[in-house]
Amino acid sequence: MNAIETINLRIWYGNNEVIRGINLAIPENVCFAIMGPSGCGKSTLLRAFNRLLELNEIARVEGDVKLFGRSVYGMDSVEVRRQIGMVFQIPNPFPHLSIYDNVALGVRYNRLVESKRELDKIVEWALKKAALWDEVKDRLKDRASELSGGQMQRLCIARALAMRPKVLLMDEPTANLDPISTRKIEELIYELKKELTIVIVTHSPAQAARVSDYVAFLYLGKLVEVGKTEDVFENPKEKLTEEYLTGRMG
Amino acid sequence: MLVRKIKEKLFLAAISIATFLTILPLFHILFSVFANGLPVLMRGGIDFVTETLAPPDSELGGIGPAIVGSFVLTFLASLIGLPIAVLTGVYAAEYPNSPIGKAVKTLLLIMMEFPTILVGLFVMNILVLPMGRYSAISGAFALAIVMMPYVAVYTEQALKEIPFVYREGAFALGLKRAVVVFKIMMSMARKGMITGILIGIAKVAGETAPLLFTAGGSARIYFAGLDQPIGAIPLLIYTLVQQPYENYHQIAWGASLVLMLIFLAIFLPLRLSIKEVKL
Repeated sequence: MNAIETINLRIWYGNNEVIRGINLAIPENVCFAIMGPSGCGKSTLLRAFNRLLELNEIARVEGDVKLFGRSVYGMDSVEVRRQIGMVFQIPNPFPHLSIYDNVALGVRYNRLVESKRELDKIVEWALKKAALWDEVKDRLKDRASELSGGQMQRLCIARALAMRPKVLLMDEPTANLDPISTRKIEELIYELKKELTIVIVTHSPAQAARVSDYVAFLYLGKLVEVGKTEDVFENPKEKLTEEYLTGRMG
Repeated sequence: MLVRKIKEKLFLAAISIATFLTILPLFHILFSVFANGLPVLMRGGIDFVTETLAPPDSELGGIGPAIVGSFVLTFLASLIGLPIAVLTGVYAAEYPNSPIGKAVKTLLLIMMEFPTILVGLFVMNILVLPMGRYSAISGAFALAIVMMPYVAVYTEQALKEIPFVYREGAFALGLKRAVVVFKIMMSMARKGMITGILIGIAKVAGETAPLLFTAGGSARIYFAGLDQPIGAIPLLIYTLVQQPYENYHQIAWGASLVLMLIFLAIFLPLRLSIKEVKL
């Protein structure tokens, strides 16, 4: 079964059609990259998966998105977002909360645990999964705003993982990070995809090649090409894809 | 060349004088209140803030009932006004494009500049006349109306200043809207909200006009009940300066100093820490 499937997905901002009929199938437990030049609709597409588009009043969605076969638009939006975690382009841990509380937040308010001990365990587990535990275990009470950019982003990953999502969406997670932090995040993706499905949006073909198993190339709201990463990179079927990959466009 | 330099000097002199003239009254007020009020406070000692008003043409006595009244009125006004105002601010921030949301923002800004004496008249009509007497609750209600727009507007602005990424982050965790707004956004906006609340409180603590037709004033009884008249420092000052007795004028100066000290105690820390409001 596919983790995520879109059926004739169209998205408008007001009268502006930004996603123009996309059919996409994302298999389970892979890293699936969506790449394309700025403004091609990558981030918008991602936000249709967890219905975060609904925060934008002028956004309108047509078609369907299926999460493990169930239409997300037929589910409760809260339920959808519990199953689909998300990491953003700008690291956005809540700056006024402690490192611990940032990770515990979702679990606590969604009442997924019974006791403080259970919560402690989940926080530790999530921080270990996000490869941040060793750096913060002695300062869990410190504010999240005291961390470095790369650490903040891994904290956001931990925050999402604590909810035990089946899918993790990453919207250009390394766009604001230095090369070393970027590498850490990419290594993390490699580990995490063993247990969940990762959909990463990137404007960098190099990153898509490094981290993904499958890749989709999006251009002006349309799906140009999709396939196994190695196939697309070695033998692009479309001329547009080739131009993008060789840096003549984008 | 020379002309340009002279013009520049003249301009500088002009704005310096204008600035000086603008802040001169402030310093004059501060100075005269201290100069006239401090001797009264020194003479009256602790009794001045605890005792009740003395008879005309006698000793100083104290302004205790007015101080107690001001605290009671401000507290009651906060109790009535703050919850409503905060919810109004949240509504305006959460639904900015709804017809009511748009109207609320404009109405709040008008309300902020609204002549407060009209608020007093309004409350007199709906509470004082039906009840048949001035009362603490009427005064508090009038003050609450004066306080609410400040708190609501500051709440709305503090919530709106939170970058969208945090909102997205909170919703992406599968949190319900109420949790996102009341637990996360509001705690992020707390500094701005507290600023608004304190400005609202400082504002009503010094108000006279809304109390003229509502609180009634009380200089000899501290607190007789919510449905009974109550004193307030500004109201007492207003009443005393109109009396022909020298000791009452002295008390009015002392009361002015007390009012100013309360006001400064709220406002100075607030103004000094206001740059911290940033996230």
